[in-house]
Amino acid sequence: MLTRRDFVAKLAVAGAAIGAFSAVPEIWAATPRVRGEVVAFHEVVSFHMDQPYIDRTGTAVPYRPPQGARSAALVAHLSEEEFRRMQCYA
Amino acid sequence: MVDFSNQPTMKGFFAPTRFEADVYDCEVTGKIPTELNGAFVRLGGDWLYPPKFADDSPFSMDGYISMFRFKNGIVDYKGRWVKTPRYKADLAAHKQLFGNYRNPFTDDPSVHGLDRSVQNTTPLCFAGKLFTLKEDSLPYEIDCNTLETIGPYNFHGKYKSLTFTAHPKVDPTTGEMVCYGYEASGLETNDVYLYTINKKGEVTREVRFKVPYISMVHDIGLTQKHVIIPVFGFVTSMERLKEGKVHWGWDSTKPAYVGVIPRDGEAKDIRWFKGPERATVHTLNARTEGNKVILEAPIFDSNPFPFFPPIDGSPWDPQKARAFIRRNTFDLNSKDDGFTEEKLFQMNVSDLGRVDDRYLSLPYRYAFTAYTDRDRPFNEARAGNLRGRVSNCYGRFDLATGKMSSYFAGDTHSLQEVCFVPRSKNAPEGDGYIMGLASNYAEMRSELIIADTQHLEEGDVARVILPFRATSQVHGRWMNEDQLPFA
Repeated sequence: MLTRRDFVAKLAVAGAAIGAFSAVPEIWAATPRVRGEVVAFHEVVSFHMDQPYIDRTGTAVPYRPPQGARSAALVAHLSEEEFRRMQCYA
Repeated sequence: MVDFSNQPTMKGFFAPTRFEADVYDCEVTGKIPTELNGAFVRLGGDWLYPPKFADDSPFSMDGYISMFRFKNGIVDYKGRWVKTPRYKADLAAHKQLFGNYRNPFTDDPSVHGLDRSVQNTTPLCFAGKLFTLKEDSLPYEIDCNTLETIGPYNFHGKYKSLTFTAHPKVDPTTGEMVCYGYEASGLETNDVYLYTINKKGEVTREVRFKVPYISMVHDIGLTQKHVIIPVFGFVTSMERLKEGKVHWGWDSTKPAYVGVIPRDGEAKDIRWFKGPERATVHTLNARTEGNKVILEAPIFDSNPFPFFPPIDGSPWDPQKARAFIRRNTFDLNSKDDGFTEEKLFQMNVSDLGRVDDRYLSLPYRYAFTAYTDRDRPFNEARAGNLRGRVSNCYGRFDLATGKMSSYFAGDTHSLQEVCFVPRSKNAPEGDGYIMGLASNYAEMRSELIIADTQHLEEGDVARVILPFRATSQVHGRWMNEDQLPFA
Protein backbone atom coordinates (compact mmCIF):
# COMPACT_ATOMS: atom_id res chain seq x y z
CA MET A 1 0.00 0.00 0.00
CA LEU A 2 1.31 3.43 -0.93
CA THR A 3 1.16 5.71 2.08
CA ARG A 4 1.12 9.49 1.89
CA ARG A 5 4.66 9.57 3.29
CA ASP A 6 5.83 7.08 0.64
CA PHE A 7 4.10 9.10 -2.05
CA VAL A 8 5.86 12.29 -1.03
CA ALA A 9 9.16 10.42 -0.93
CA LYS A 10 8.57 9.04 -4.44
CA LEU A 11 7.65 12.52 -5.59
CA ALA A 12 10.97 13.84 -4.35
CA VAL A 13 12.80 11.06 -6.19
CA ALA A 14 10.80 11.78 -9.32
CA GLY A 15 11.59 15.49 -9.05
CA ALA A 16 15.27 14.70 -8.78
CA ALA A 17 14.99 12.48 -11.84
CA ILE A 18 13.44 15.31 -13.79
CA GLY A 19 16.30 17.56 -12.92
CA ALA A 20 18.93 14.93 -13.63
CA PHE A 21 17.59 13.41 -16.84
CA SER A 22 15.01 15.93 -18.11
CA ALA A 23 12.56 13.04 -18.37
CA VAL A 24 8.92 12.90 -17.30
CA PRO A 25 8.46 10.33 -14.52
CA GLU A 26 6.34 7.37 -15.49
CA ILE A 27 3.92 7.77 -12.61
CA TRP A 28 2.64 11.02 -14.12
CA ALA A 29 3.03 10.41 -17.83
CA ALA A 30 2.77 6.76 -18.71
CA THR A 31 2.53 7.11 -22.46
CA PRO A 32 5.03 4.64 -23.89
CA ARG A 33 6.94 5.74 -26.94
CA VAL A 34 8.90 3.80 -29.54
CA ARG A 35 11.38 5.90 -31.45
CA GLY A 36 9.34 9.00 -30.67
CA GLU A 37 6.00 7.58 -31.77
CA VAL A 38 3.07 7.15 -29.43
CA VAL A 39 2.02 3.50 -29.50
CA ALA A 40 -0.58 3.34 -26.71
CA PHE A 41 -2.50 5.59 -24.37
CA HIS A 42 -2.73 5.30 -20.64
CA GLU A 43 -4.61 7.27 -18.06
CA VAL A 44 -2.86 10.41 -16.90
CA VAL A 45 -3.74 13.12 -14.44
CA SER A 46 -4.31 16.35 -16.29
CA PHE A 47 -5.97 19.69 -15.67
CA HIS A 48 -9.12 21.39 -16.84
CA MET A 49 -10.67 24.54 -15.39
CA ASP A 50 -8.12 24.53 -12.58
CA GLN A 51 -9.13 21.08 -11.42
CA PRO A 52 -7.24 17.82 -11.84
CA TYR A 53 -8.98 15.01 -13.68
CA ILE A 54 -8.07 11.63 -15.11
CA ASP A 55 -7.65 11.88 -18.85
CA ARG A 56 -8.27 8.71 -20.80
CA THR A 57 -8.18 10.19 -24.28
CA GLY A 58 -4.43 10.30 -24.69
CA THR A 59 -4.65 13.92 -25.78
CA ALA A 60 -4.12 15.77 -22.51
CA VAL A 61 -0.91 17.19 -21.12
CA PRO A 62 0.02 15.05 -18.10
CA TYR A 63 0.26 16.96 -14.83
CA ARG A 64 3.68 16.98 -13.23
CA PRO A 65 3.76 18.38 -9.70
CA PRO A 66 6.16 21.13 -8.70
CA GLN A 67 9.61 20.17 -7.60
CA GLY A 68 9.83 22.97 -5.08
CA ALA A 69 6.49 22.99 -3.30
CA ARG A 70 6.88 22.72 0.43
CA SER A 71 10.61 22.52 -0.13
CA ALA A 72 13.21 24.77 1.41
CA ALA A 73 13.59 26.73 -1.81
CA LEU A 74 12.41 29.96 -0.22
CA VAL A 75 15.09 29.88 2.46
CA ALA A 76 17.87 28.32 0.44
CA HIS A 77 19.66 31.64 0.07
CA LEU A 78 20.12 32.00 3.83
CA SER A 79 23.49 31.36 5.41
CA GLU A 80 23.88 28.42 7.77
CA GLU A 81 23.80 30.81 10.72
CA GLU A 82 20.72 32.64 9.49
CA PHE A 83 18.97 29.35 8.82
CA ARG A 84 19.84 27.82 12.20
CA ARG A 85 18.62 30.94 13.98
CA MET A 86 15.23 30.21 12.44
CA GLN A 87 15.19 26.42 12.51
CA CYS A 88 17.67 25.09 15.01
CA TYR A 89 16.44 21.50 14.75
CA ALA A 90 15.68 21.41 11.03
CA MET B 1 -8.76 3.85 8.34
CA VAL B 2 -8.84 6.74 5.89
CA ASP B 3 -6.62 6.26 2.86
CA PHE B 4 -6.43 8.68 -0.07
CA SER B 5 -3.18 7.24 -1.44
CA ASN B 6 -4.85 5.55 -4.43
CA GLN B 7 -6.74 8.70 -5.51
CA PRO B 8 -4.65 9.99 -8.42
CA THR B 9 -6.16 13.49 -8.53
CA MET B 10 -5.96 14.10 -4.79
CA LYS B 11 -2.26 14.84 -4.51
CA GLY B 12 -0.13 17.82 -3.71
CA PHE B 13 -2.15 21.04 -3.61
CA PHE B 14 -5.27 19.02 -4.34
CA ALA B 15 -5.07 16.59 -1.46
CA PRO B 16 -8.05 16.78 0.90
CA THR B 17 -7.48 19.02 3.92
CA ARG B 18 -10.33 17.70 6.10
CA PHE B 19 -9.98 20.08 9.03
CA GLU B 20 -12.09 22.91 10.39
CA ALA B 21 -10.26 26.15 11.03
CA ASP B 22 -10.33 29.48 12.80
CA VAL B 23 -7.70 32.10 12.10
CA TYR B 24 -8.13 35.34 13.99
CA ASP B 25 -6.60 38.57 12.70
CA CYS B 26 -5.20 37.01 9.54
CA GLU B 27 -1.85 37.92 8.08
CA VAL B 28 -2.32 40.62 5.45
CA THR B 29 -0.01 42.10 2.85
CA GLY B 30 -0.98 45.58 1.66
CA LYS B 31 -3.91 47.34 3.30
CA ILE B 32 -7.49 46.15 3.61
CA PRO B 33 -9.84 48.92 2.38
CA THR B 34 -11.69 50.12 5.46
CA GLU B 35 -14.95 50.44 3.53
CA LEU B 36 -15.06 46.64 3.25
CA ASN B 37 -17.20 45.60 6.20
CA GLY B 38 -19.00 42.28 5.93
CA ALA B 39 -17.90 38.84 4.83
CA PHE B 40 -16.64 37.02 1.79
CA VAL B 41 -18.31 33.64 2.10
CA ARG B 42 -17.10 30.68 0.06
CA LEU B 43 -18.75 27.33 -0.52
CA GLY B 44 -17.06 24.33 -2.03
CA GLY B 45 -16.16 20.80 -1.24
CA ASP B 46 -13.65 18.54 0.36
CA TRP B 47 -13.65 14.77 0.70
CA LEU B 48 -14.40 13.63 4.22
CA TYR B 49 -13.85 10.08 2.96
CA PRO B 50 -12.60 8.93 -0.45
CA PRO B 51 -15.29 8.51 -3.11
CA LYS B 52 -16.83 5.07 -3.30
CA PHE B 53 -16.20 4.83 -7.04
CA ALA B 54 -13.23 6.00 -9.07
CA ASP B 55 -15.40 7.64 -11.72
CA ASP B 56 -17.43 9.76 -9.32
CA SER B 57 -17.67 13.49 -9.90
CA PRO B 58 -15.93 16.11 -7.75
CA PHE B 59 -19.43 17.53 -7.36
CA SER B 60 -19.92 14.74 -4.81
CA MET B 61 -17.42 16.29 -2.41
CA ASP B 62 -18.79 17.03 1.05
CA GLY B 63 -19.82 20.66 1.45
CA TYR B 64 -17.44 23.00 3.22
CA ILE B 65 -18.29 26.63 3.98
CA SER B 66 -15.71 29.25 4.82
CA MET B 67 -15.82 32.94 5.59
CA PHE B 68 -13.39 35.83 5.54
CA ARG B 69 -14.99 38.24 8.01
CA PHE B 70 -13.97 41.87 7.38
CA LYS B 71 -14.35 44.43 10.15
CA ASN B 72 -12.57 47.77 10.30
CA GLY B 73 -9.60 46.58 8.29
CA ILE B 74 -9.16 43.32 10.24
CA VAL B 75 -9.97 39.93 8.71
CA ASP B 76 -10.82 36.70 10.55
CA TYR B 77 -11.15 33.36 8.79
CA LYS B 78 -13.46 30.49 9.68
CA GLY B 79 -14.06 27.17 7.90
CA ARG B 80 -16.62 24.49 8.74
CA TRP B 81 -18.03 21.34 7.15
CA VAL B 82 -21.67 21.61 6.18
CA LYS B 83 -22.99 18.98 8.53
CA THR B 84 -25.64 17.29 6.44
CA PRO B 85 -27.24 13.93 7.28
CA ARG B 86 -24.85 12.45 4.71
CA TYR B 87 -21.79 13.93 6.44
CA LYS B 88 -22.99 12.65 9.81
CA ALA B 89 -23.78 9.16 8.47
CA ASP B 90 -20.37 8.83 6.84
CA LEU B 91 -18.60 10.08 9.94
CA ALA B 92 -20.48 7.63 12.14
CA ALA B 93 -19.63 4.75 9.80
CA HIS B 94 -16.02 5.91 9.31
CA LYS B 95 -16.37 5.44 5.56
CA GLN B 96 -18.07 6.68 2.40
CA LEU B 97 -21.56 5.23 2.29
CA PHE B 98 -22.79 7.17 -0.71
CA GLY B 99 -22.15 6.22 -4.29
CA ASN B 100 -21.96 8.08 -7.56
CA TYR B 101 -23.11 11.64 -8.15
CA ARG B 102 -26.89 11.90 -7.74
CA ASN B 103 -27.33 8.15 -8.02
CA PRO B 104 -28.94 6.64 -4.92
CA PHE B 105 -28.86 3.16 -6.50
CA THR B 106 -25.14 3.07 -5.78
CA ASP B 107 -25.46 3.87 -2.07
CA ASP B 108 -24.94 1.54 0.85
CA PRO B 109 -28.36 0.09 1.80
CA SER B 110 -27.96 1.50 5.31
CA VAL B 111 -28.53 5.05 4.04
CA HIS B 112 -31.51 4.36 1.81
CA GLY B 113 -33.93 7.29 1.99
CA LEU B 114 -31.50 9.64 3.72
CA ASP B 115 -30.92 13.13 2.27
CA ARG B 116 -27.81 12.49 0.19
CA SER B 117 -27.10 16.14 -0.64
CA VAL B 118 -23.60 17.48 -0.03
CA GLN B 119 -24.31 21.27 -0.05
CA ASN B 120 -21.19 22.33 -1.89
CA THR B 121 -22.07 24.89 -4.55
CA THR B 122 -23.21 28.43 -3.67
CA PRO B 123 -23.58 30.46 -0.46
CA LEU B 124 -26.69 32.65 -0.42
CA CYS B 125 -27.60 35.60 1.76
CA PHE B 126 -31.34 36.30 1.62
CA ALA B 127 -33.99 37.66 3.98
CA GLY B 128 -31.41 38.06 6.74
CA LYS B 129 -30.33 34.43 6.62
CA LEU B 130 -27.29 32.56 5.32
CA PHE B 131 -27.83 29.44 3.23
CA THR B 132 -25.83 26.84 1.38
CA LEU B 133 -27.19 25.73 -1.98
CA LYS B 134 -26.91 22.51 -3.95
CA GLU B 135 -29.21 21.95 -6.88
CA ASP B 136 -30.27 18.43 -5.86
CA SER B 137 -31.92 19.40 -2.59
CA LEU B 138 -33.39 22.18 -0.47
CA PRO B 139 -31.19 25.02 0.81
CA TYR B 140 -29.51 24.50 4.18
CA GLU B 141 -29.60 27.33 6.70
CA ILE B 142 -26.26 28.18 8.30
CA ASP B 143 -25.50 30.27 11.40
CA CYS B 144 -23.70 33.30 9.95
CA ASN B 145 -21.47 33.72 12.99
CA THR B 146 -20.46 30.15 13.81
CA LEU B 147 -21.00 28.65 10.33
CA GLU B 148 -22.61 25.69 12.06
CA THR B 149 -25.34 23.92 10.10
CA ILE B 150 -28.94 24.56 11.17
CA GLY B 151 -30.67 22.40 8.55
CA PRO B 152 -32.85 22.27 5.42
CA TYR B 153 -35.12 25.26 4.76
CA ASN B 154 -38.38 25.34 2.77
CA PHE B 155 -39.54 28.96 3.20
CA HIS B 156 -42.23 28.26 5.78
CA GLY B 157 -43.47 25.19 3.89
CA LYS B 158 -44.44 27.20 0.83
CA TYR B 159 -41.52 26.09 -1.35
CA LYS B 160 -42.74 22.76 -2.73
CA SER B 161 -39.99 21.71 -5.12
CA LEU B 162 -37.75 18.98 -3.74
CA THR B 163 -34.75 20.78 -5.22
CA PHE B 164 -33.46 24.37 -5.21
CA THR B 165 -31.10 25.90 -7.72
CA ALA B 166 -27.57 26.98 -6.86
CA HIS B 167 -28.24 30.20 -8.81
CA PRO B 168 -31.29 32.11 -7.60
CA LYS B 169 -31.50 35.69 -8.84
CA VAL B 170 -32.26 38.63 -6.56
CA ASP B 171 -33.87 41.57 -8.36
CA PRO B 172 -32.02 44.68 -7.10
CA THR B 173 -35.04 46.90 -7.77
CA THR B 174 -37.48 44.98 -5.57
CA GLY B 175 -35.31 42.73 -3.41
CA GLU B 176 -37.38 39.72 -4.43
CA MET B 177 -35.74 36.46 -5.38
CA VAL B 178 -36.57 34.41 -8.46
CA CYS B 179 -35.55 30.80 -7.95
CA TYR B 180 -36.47 27.32 -9.09
CA GLY B 181 -35.91 23.64 -8.74
CA TYR B 182 -35.50 21.12 -11.57
CA GLU B 183 -36.25 17.42 -11.24
CA ALA B 184 -38.59 19.21 -8.89
CA SER B 185 -41.01 16.42 -8.11
CA GLY B 186 -38.40 13.67 -7.82
CA LEU B 187 -35.44 11.97 -9.39
CA GLU B 188 -35.67 11.77 -13.20
CA THR B 189 -38.75 13.97 -13.52
CA ASN B 190 -38.94 16.67 -16.16
CA ASP B 191 -40.64 19.17 -13.86
CA VAL B 192 -39.39 22.66 -13.10
CA TYR B 193 -41.04 24.70 -10.34
CA LEU B 194 -40.33 28.41 -10.66
CA TYR B 195 -40.81 30.68 -7.64
CA THR B 196 -40.81 34.32 -6.64
CA ILE B 197 -39.99 34.94 -2.98
CA ASN B 198 -40.29 38.43 -1.55
CA LYS B 199 -37.54 40.10 0.45
CA LYS B 200 -39.14 38.94 3.71
CA GLY B 201 -38.67 35.35 2.58
CA GLU B 202 -42.34 34.71 1.72
CA VAL B 203 -43.23 32.72 -1.40
CA THR B 204 -45.47 34.93 -3.54
CA ARG B 205 -45.63 33.01 -6.79
CA GLU B 206 -45.22 29.47 -8.14
CA VAL B 207 -45.31 28.28 -11.75
CA ARG B 208 -44.84 24.64 -12.73
CA PHE B 209 -43.72 23.61 -16.21
CA LYS B 210 -41.86 20.87 -18.02
CA VAL B 211 -38.54 20.99 -19.89
CA PRO B 212 -38.05 19.47 -23.40
CA TYR B 213 -35.76 16.82 -21.91
CA ILE B 214 -34.43 16.18 -18.42
CA SER B 215 -31.17 18.06 -18.19
CA MET B 216 -28.99 20.11 -15.91
CA VAL B 217 -30.68 23.50 -15.47
CA HIS B 218 -27.87 24.98 -13.46
CA ASP B 219 -28.46 28.70 -13.93
CA ILE B 220 -31.01 31.07 -15.43
CA GLY B 221 -31.15 34.61 -16.74
CA LEU B 222 -33.39 37.24 -15.17
CA THR B 223 -34.63 40.43 -16.79
CA GLN B 224 -37.15 42.92 -15.48
CA LYS B 225 -39.81 41.11 -17.51
CA HIS B 226 -38.63 37.59 -18.26
CA VAL B 227 -36.91 34.51 -16.94
CA ILE B 228 -34.57 32.67 -19.34
CA ILE B 229 -34.05 28.94 -18.84
CA PRO B 230 -31.15 27.21 -20.66
CA VAL B 231 -31.40 23.44 -21.20
CA PHE B 232 -28.44 21.76 -22.86
CA GLY B 233 -26.68 18.50 -23.65
CA PHE B 234 -26.55 16.72 -20.31
CA VAL B 235 -28.93 13.78 -20.22
CA THR B 236 -29.97 11.26 -17.63
CA SER B 237 -32.41 8.41 -17.20
CA MET B 238 -33.54 5.92 -14.59
CA GLU B 239 -31.91 3.17 -16.67
CA ARG B 240 -28.63 5.03 -16.53
CA LEU B 241 -28.84 5.32 -12.76
CA LYS B 242 -29.73 1.64 -12.35
CA GLU B 243 -26.60 0.83 -14.33
CA GLY B 244 -24.67 2.58 -11.56
CA LYS B 245 -23.47 5.57 -13.56
CA VAL B 246 -23.11 9.19 -12.47
CA HIS B 247 -26.27 11.21 -12.95
CA TRP B 248 -25.28 13.00 -16.16
CA GLY B 249 -23.87 12.00 -19.50
CA TRP B 250 -23.40 14.24 -22.52
CA ASP B 251 -25.45 13.72 -25.68
CA SER B 252 -23.98 15.81 -28.50
CA THR B 253 -27.04 15.18 -30.65
CA LYS B 254 -29.28 17.09 -28.26
CA PRO B 255 -30.05 20.65 -29.29
CA ALA B 256 -29.71 23.43 -26.76
CA TYR B 257 -33.13 24.70 -25.75
CA VAL B 258 -33.72 28.06 -24.11
CA GLY B 259 -37.06 28.79 -22.51
CA VAL B 260 -38.34 32.36 -22.12
CA ILE B 261 -41.22 32.94 -19.73
CA PRO B 262 -42.69 36.26 -18.56
CA ARG B 263 -42.07 36.83 -14.87
CA ASP B 264 -45.81 37.25 -14.41
CA GLY B 265 -46.65 34.47 -16.87
CA GLU B 266 -47.99 30.96 -16.56
CA ALA B 267 -46.68 27.64 -17.86
CA LYS B 268 -48.60 28.09 -21.13
CA ASP B 269 -46.69 31.32 -21.79
CA ILE B 270 -43.23 29.75 -21.93
CA ARG B 271 -41.66 29.80 -25.36
CA TRP B 272 -38.83 27.39 -26.22
CA PHE B 273 -36.12 28.49 -28.62
CA LYS B 274 -33.75 25.93 -30.11
CA GLY B 275 -30.09 26.13 -31.14
CA PRO B 276 -27.03 23.97 -31.84
CA GLU B 277 -24.97 22.01 -29.29
CA ARG B 278 -23.87 24.34 -26.49
CA ALA B 279 -23.45 24.39 -22.72
CA THR B 280 -24.61 27.44 -20.77
CA VAL B 281 -23.69 26.40 -17.26
CA HIS B 282 -23.49 29.91 -15.79
CA THR B 283 -24.94 33.22 -16.93
CA LEU B 284 -23.70 36.79 -16.57
CA ASN B 285 -26.80 38.92 -16.98
CA ALA B 286 -29.90 39.42 -19.08
CA ARG B 287 -32.29 42.16 -20.10
CA THR B 288 -35.46 42.76 -22.08
CA GLU B 289 -35.33 45.39 -24.83
CA GLY B 290 -38.74 45.79 -26.46
CA ASN B 291 -39.63 42.43 -27.93
CA LYS B 292 -36.11 41.10 -27.64
CA VAL B 293 -34.78 39.17 -24.69
CA ILE B 294 -30.99 39.20 -24.41
CA LEU B 295 -28.82 36.81 -22.43
CA GLU B 296 -25.07 37.21 -22.00
CA ALA B 297 -23.04 34.32 -20.63
CA PRO B 298 -19.75 32.44 -20.92
CA ILE B 299 -20.98 29.61 -23.13
CA PHE B 300 -19.13 26.39 -24.00
CA ASP B 301 -19.25 24.81 -27.45
CA SER B 302 -19.79 21.42 -25.87
CA ASN B 303 -19.44 19.39 -22.68
CA PRO B 304 -17.31 21.24 -20.11
CA PHE B 305 -17.05 18.41 -17.60
CA PRO B 306 -14.84 15.34 -18.23
CA PHE B 307 -16.46 13.51 -15.32
CA PHE B 308 -19.85 13.57 -17.10
CA PRO B 309 -18.66 11.72 -20.23
CA PRO B 310 -20.26 11.48 -23.68
CA ILE B 311 -22.91 8.75 -23.74
CA ASP B 312 -21.74 7.48 -27.15
CA GLY B 313 -18.38 6.42 -25.75
CA SER B 314 -16.41 9.01 -27.65
CA PRO B 315 -13.58 10.74 -25.79
CA TRP B 316 -14.27 14.00 -23.98
CA ASP B 317 -12.87 16.86 -26.08
CA PRO B 318 -11.01 19.54 -24.12
CA GLN B 319 -10.82 21.73 -27.22
CA LYS B 320 -14.59 22.12 -27.16
CA ALA B 321 -14.64 22.65 -23.41
CA ARG B 322 -13.78 26.32 -23.67
CA ALA B 323 -16.15 29.10 -22.77
CA PHE B 324 -16.50 32.37 -24.65
CA ILE B 325 -18.54 35.38 -23.57
CA ARG B 326 -21.50 35.31 -25.94
CA ARG B 327 -24.77 37.15 -26.44
CA ASN B 328 -27.92 35.22 -27.26
CA THR B 329 -30.85 37.26 -28.55
CA PHE B 330 -34.37 35.87 -28.52
CA ASP B 331 -36.86 37.72 -30.72
CA LEU B 332 -40.34 37.33 -29.28
CA ASN B 333 -41.76 38.55 -32.59
CA SER B 334 -40.05 35.84 -34.61
CA LYS B 335 -42.10 33.14 -36.29
CA ASP B 336 -39.57 30.32 -35.77
CA ASP B 337 -37.78 28.87 -32.78
CA GLY B 338 -34.28 30.07 -33.67
CA PHE B 339 -32.16 32.68 -31.92
CA THR B 340 -28.97 34.57 -32.69
CA GLU B 341 -25.58 34.17 -31.07
CA GLU B 342 -22.65 36.62 -31.04
CA LYS B 343 -19.19 36.01 -29.61
CA LEU B 344 -18.39 39.26 -27.76
CA PHE B 345 -14.74 38.49 -26.98
CA GLN B 346 -12.50 36.14 -28.95
CA MET B 347 -10.63 34.88 -25.90
CA ASN B 348 -11.84 31.96 -23.85
CA VAL B 349 -12.59 32.61 -20.20
CA SER B 350 -13.64 30.90 -17.00
CA ASP B 351 -17.40 30.43 -17.06
CA LEU B 352 -17.61 31.54 -13.41
CA GLY B 353 -18.34 35.13 -14.40
CA ARG B 354 -19.89 37.85 -12.28
CA VAL B 355 -21.45 41.28 -12.74
CA ASP B 356 -22.17 44.17 -10.41
CA ASP B 357 -25.22 42.65 -8.69
CA ARG B 358 -26.86 46.07 -8.40
CA TYR B 359 -27.36 45.83 -12.19
CA LEU B 360 -28.70 42.28 -12.32
CA SER B 361 -31.67 42.06 -14.73
CA LEU B 362 -30.91 45.61 -15.95
CA PRO B 363 -28.84 47.14 -18.76
CA TYR B 364 -25.21 46.93 -17.65
CA ARG B 365 -21.71 47.42 -18.92
CA TYR B 366 -19.14 45.38 -17.01
CA ALA B 367 -18.54 41.68 -16.53
CA PHE B 368 -15.79 40.10 -14.45
CA THR B 369 -14.24 36.69 -14.77
CA ALA B 370 -10.96 34.80 -14.61
CA TYR B 371 -9.00 33.72 -17.64
CA THR B 372 -5.67 32.28 -18.70
CA ASP B 373 -3.08 34.67 -20.11
CA ARG B 374 -0.52 32.39 -21.73
CA ASP B 375 1.89 35.27 -22.22
CA ARG B 376 2.26 35.88 -18.50
CA PRO B 377 5.20 34.21 -16.75
CA PHE B 378 4.75 30.90 -15.01
CA ASN B 379 7.35 29.36 -12.73
CA GLU B 380 7.19 25.68 -13.61
CA ALA B 381 9.98 24.70 -11.26
CA ARG B 382 8.07 26.03 -8.26
CA ALA B 383 4.47 25.50 -9.34
CA GLY B 384 4.47 22.44 -11.61
CA ASN B 385 3.98 22.15 -15.37
CA LEU B 386 0.72 24.07 -15.42
CA ARG B 387 1.84 26.81 -17.79
CA GLY B 388 -1.11 27.88 -19.88
CA ARG B 389 -3.53 25.82 -17.83
CA VAL B 390 -4.16 27.99 -14.77
CA SER B 391 -6.45 30.98 -14.44
CA ASN B 392 -3.77 33.53 -13.70
CA CYS B 393 -5.75 36.72 -14.39
CA TYR B 394 -9.01 38.41 -13.53
CA GLY B 395 -10.48 40.57 -16.26
CA ARG B 396 -12.97 43.41 -16.21
CA PHE B 397 -14.73 43.12 -19.55
CA ASP B 398 -16.35 46.28 -20.90
CA LEU B 399 -19.27 45.09 -22.99
CA ALA B 400 -19.86 48.59 -24.33
CA THR B 401 -16.39 49.09 -25.82
CA GLY B 402 -15.10 45.52 -26.13
CA LYS B 403 -12.05 46.46 -24.05
CA MET B 404 -10.68 44.66 -21.03
CA SER B 405 -8.54 45.57 -18.05
CA SER B 406 -6.59 42.85 -16.32
CA TYR B 407 -5.24 41.79 -12.95
CA PHE B 408 -2.37 39.26 -12.82
CA ALA B 409 -2.07 37.11 -9.67
CA GLY B 410 1.57 35.95 -9.94
CA ASP B 411 3.72 33.29 -11.55
CA THR B 412 2.82 30.48 -9.13
CA HIS B 413 -0.86 31.28 -8.64
CA SER B 414 -4.21 30.12 -9.94
CA LEU B 415 -7.40 32.09 -9.34
CA GLN B 416 -10.79 30.78 -8.29
CA GLU B 417 -14.10 32.52 -9.05
CA VAL B 418 -14.06 36.32 -8.93
CA CYS B 419 -16.51 38.39 -6.89
CA PHE B 420 -17.24 42.10 -7.30
CA VAL B 421 -17.83 44.40 -4.32
CA PRO B 422 -18.99 48.00 -4.95
CA ARG B 423 -16.85 50.71 -3.35
CA SER B 424 -20.00 52.10 -1.77
CA LYS B 425 -23.75 51.65 -2.18
CA ASN B 426 -23.91 54.58 -4.59
CA ALA B 427 -20.67 53.95 -6.47
CA PRO B 428 -20.90 53.84 -10.28
CA GLU B 429 -21.30 50.44 -11.90
CA GLY B 430 -18.12 48.39 -11.70
CA ASP B 431 -16.34 50.83 -9.37
CA GLY B 432 -15.03 48.96 -6.35
CA TYR B 433 -13.05 45.83 -5.65
CA ILE B 434 -12.69 42.38 -7.11
CA MET B 435 -12.06 39.63 -4.66
CA GLY B 436 -11.21 35.97 -5.00
CA LEU B 437 -9.09 33.18 -3.65
CA ALA B 438 -5.76 32.38 -5.26
CA SER B 439 -4.06 29.01 -4.95
CA ASN B 440 -0.34 29.50 -4.45
CA TYR B 441 1.00 26.23 -5.83
CA ALA B 442 4.57 26.95 -4.80
CA GLU B 443 3.98 27.80 -1.18
CA MET B 444 1.04 25.43 -0.69
CA ARG B 445 -1.27 28.08 0.69
CA SER B 446 -4.33 30.09 -0.26
CA GLU B 447 -4.41 33.87 -0.55
CA LEU B 448 -7.47 36.09 -0.77
CA ILE B 449 -6.87 38.71 -3.44
CA ILE B 450 -8.40 42.19 -3.20
CA ALA B 451 -7.84 44.49 -6.17
CA ASP B 452 -9.22 47.93 -7.06
CA THR B 453 -11.19 47.77 -10.31
CA GLN B 454 -9.89 51.23 -11.27
CA HIS B 455 -6.29 50.06 -11.02
CA LEU B 456 -6.27 46.37 -11.91
CA GLU B 457 -3.06 46.57 -13.90
CA GLU B 458 -1.24 47.84 -10.80
CA GLY B 459 -1.86 44.63 -8.87
CA ASP B 460 -3.77 43.96 -5.67
CA VAL B 461 -4.29 46.42 -2.84
CA ALA B 462 -4.23 43.63 -0.26
CA ARG B 463 -3.85 39.90 0.16
CA VAL B 464 -5.12 37.92 3.10
CA ILE B 465 -2.66 35.09 3.61
CA LEU B 466 -3.87 31.77 4.95
CA PRO B 467 -1.15 29.52 6.35
CA PHE B 468 -2.69 26.49 4.63
CA ARG B 469 -4.54 25.32 1.54
CA ALA B 470 -8.19 26.28 1.80
CA THR B 471 -10.72 23.81 0.42
CA SER B 472 -11.58 24.30 -3.21
CA GLN B 473 -14.43 26.67 -3.90
CA VAL B 474 -17.22 26.54 -6.40
CA HIS B 475 -18.81 29.92 -5.68
CA GLY B 476 -18.11 32.80 -3.30
CA ARG B 477 -20.27 35.80 -2.45
CA TRP B 478 -19.71 39.09 -0.67
CA MET B 479 -22.25 39.79 2.08
CA ASN B 480 -22.49 43.28 3.48
CA GLU B 481 -22.45 44.01 7.21
CA ASP B 482 -26.12 45.02 7.13
CA GLN B 483 -27.36 41.94 5.28
CA LEU B 484 -26.84 39.41 8.06
CA PRO B 485 -27.03 39.51 11.90
CA PHE B 486 -23.28 39.41 12.36
CA ALA B 487 -22.00 39.52 15.94
